[in-house]
Amino acid sequence: MNSEPIIKVENVTVRYDDRTILEDVSFNINRGEIFMIVGGSGCGKSTMLRQIIGLETPVEGRIYIDGENICAARGKQKKEILKKFGVLFQSGGLFASMTLAENIAIVLETYTDISQECMAELIDMKLASVGLRGYDGFLPSEISGGMKKRAALARAMALDPMILCFDEPSSGLDPVTAASMDAIIREMNSALGTTMVVVSHDLEGVLTTAHNVIMLDKSVCGIIAQGDPRKLKAENKNPIVHSFFNRIAE
Amino acid sequence: MKKTKKNKDCFRINESANERILTPILPLTLTNANAYDKQLATTKVVTDCSKITLDFAEANLMDFDSYLVIFINRIRQFAKEKNVEFAISGLPSDRRNFVDLFSRKITSELPEQENNSSIGRYIENLGKKFQKMWRDSYLLIEFTGNLLIALVKMPFQMKKVRWKDFPFHFNAAGVNAVPICLLIVFLIGVIMGYQGALQLHQFGADIYNADLVGIAIARELSPLMTAILVAGRSGSAFAAEIGTMKVSEEIDALTTMGIDLYQFLVLPRVLAVTFSIPFITALADLSGIIGGLFASLTTLNITMNGFIVELGTALTYAHVFSGIIKSMLFGFLVASVGCFRGLQASGGAESVGKFTTAAVVTGVLLIVLSDSVLTFVLQVLGI
Repeated sequence: MNSEPIIKVENVTVRYDDRTILEDVSFNINRGEIFMIVGGSGCGKSTMLRQIIGLETPVEGRIYIDGENICAARGKQKKEILKKFGVLFQSGGLFASMTLAENIAIVLETYTDISQECMAELIDMKLASVGLRGYDGFLPSEISGGMKKRAALARAMALDPMILCFDEPSSGLDPVTAASMDAIIREMNSALGTTMVVVSHDLEGVLTTAHNVIMLDKSVCGIIAQGDPRKLKAENKNPIVHSFFNRIAE
Repeated sequence: MKKTKKNKDCFRINESANERILTPILPLTLTNANAYDKQLATTKVVTDCSKITLDFAEANLMDFDSYLVIFINRIRQFAKEKNVEFAISGLPSDRRNFVDLFSRKITSELPEQENNSSIGRYIENLGKKFQKMWRDSYLLIEFTGNLLIALVKMPFQMKKVRWKDFPFHFNAAGVNAVPICLLIVFLIGVIMGYQGALQLHQFGADIYNADLVGIAIARELSPLMTAILVAGRSGSAFAAEIGTMKVSEEIDALTTMGIDLYQFLVLPRVLAVTFSIPFITALADLSGIIGGLFASLTTLNITMNGFIVELGTALTYAHVFSGIIKSMLFGFLVASVGCFRGLQASGGAESVGKFTTAAVVTGVLLIVLSDSVLTFVLQVLGI
C-alpha cells in the first residue's frame, strides 16, 4: 500500500480581500485515517476544507491530492481529482427537486455508463448502507434533518471515493443522531478503508472518532495543535487547546 | 474437473460434475459493470450443479468498488433461485468486511410500504388534488379575512404597521415600473390605433379613431396591462421575498415574537401597490393615447388638433376614473396574492420558485376575472 500521505497541504494562505483567514498552513493526511479539522467558530475550518476539495483556490500554497496539485488543476485533470472525493456539506446539499434516488443517480450518470438495473441496485445499496433503504422515492423535504445528512452521505459515497469529506456532519442534529453519524463514519472507515476528512466542533465526536486532528485558531490564522485528540486533551498545555478539549469557557 | 469454458473477458467458469467455480478476471469496478452484466446475461452460470463457488484467489482485487458487492449478490441470487449451495473463497478479510457491510444492510427488511393498485393510486392522487384545492381555498379565505381585519384595525393601530417599508415598496413596485408600463401601453395604443384606422377608414369615420383609442385605453387596456406588468414584477417579487423568509424561518421568528404578519409584512406591500398603481395607470393612459394619436396621424387623414378635440368630447371623467379605480383593485389583488403565495411556501428553494410562479398565474387570473365582472357591472350601472 502506498505510504505517502493522501493529502498534502503545503504553505496554504487564504485571504478574502485584505482579510487573512489562513496563513502558511501545512499538514498531511494519511491514507485510511479519520482526520478532523477542529477549532472555534470563524477560525477557518470550513475555509480549509473548501481549499482541499477545490471549491476555492488559496492565494498561496499547494494542496496535493494523491500526488496531484488540485490548486493548479484545470478542466479534465481537475474532474479526475474531484472523482476521488465525496463531500457531505453542512446542509446536505441535496437537490430539493429530486428524489433521494435521483440525487444519487445524478453522480452515477455523470461518471459511469452502468445499466439502469445496476444503477437501481447500487442506489439501493448506498441508501441501505446509511440506513435509508426504501426511501429512494422520497424528496429531501419529506425526510428529517438527520436523514437528509445520511442521504447526502449516500450520494457522497456513490462512486466509492478514496476520500470522504464532511463539513460539520453533526451540526443541527440531536445527540443520538449525531452519534449515529459518527458511528457511520467509523464503520465506513474501517470497512472501506476510506480516508475521512471531517470539519467538526463536536468534542464528543472528535474524541471518539478521530485518529488525528489539527486545531486551527484565528489568533494565528493557522494551526495551534495537531496529533491524537486524546493526547491533546490530556497533555497539551496551550490554553486555547486546553479550553477547547475540556469545554472551559474563555 | 471435466472442462474449462473460457469466456474471453470478465470471468471464467470451471465446471465439474457437481460444482461450478466462477473466477472473476477483470477488476470488479463500475467501469467494468456493463461487460460483467453482459456476460452474466449470456452465460448460464448455474446449471446442472449442486454448488457454485465464487473464487477470488486469482482475482484482481487491488482495484474494486461497490460493483464487487453487486456482482456477489447477483451470483448469490442465481444460486438461491436454482436452490444451489453458494460459497465464496479467496476473498481477503478487508474485502470481506466491505462486502459484509453492504450485504448485511442491503438484505435488511424494507420499511412497510403501501402497495396500491394503479386505480387505487389514481383515486388517491385525485383525492389528494381535491384536498389540496380545498386547503388552498381555505387558506385564501383565511388570508383574505386576516387582511380585511388588519385593514379595519389599521386606523386604530397606525403605529403597528411597518410604514418604514411603504416608501421602499411604493418606489420598487410603482416608480420603477413606470418606464416599462409606459412603453408597453404606448405600443398597445399604436396597435389599437392602426387596427382601428384600418376598419374606420372604410366607413369614412377616421375621426372616431380618437374615441376608440381613448376609451379603450383609459377604460380597459391601460389598467389591464399595467396590472399584468405589476403582477409580473411585484407580485412575483413579494412571493419570492416572503417565501424565502418563510423557508429561512424568519416568518416563524416574527410569529413567535408576537408581531402581526399582516401589519408587518402584508399591509405595507399591499398598500404601496394599491396606491402607486393609479399613478402608473394615469401616465400609461396618456402614453397609450399618444400611441393611438401617432398611429392615427400616420395612417388617417386627420390632424392632431382634430384628434384632441374629438378625444375631449368622447372621453369623460367616468371613463378615466373607472379605469383608475379598477387599477387600484387590480393592484390590491396582485399584491395580496403575491404575499399569500409567499406565505404558502415551505421546505426549500423549489417551493419558493413554485409559489412565485403561482403568484403570477393567480394574479393575472384574478385581474382578468375581476375586470370581466367590473366591466359587466359598470355597463349595467351605465358608467
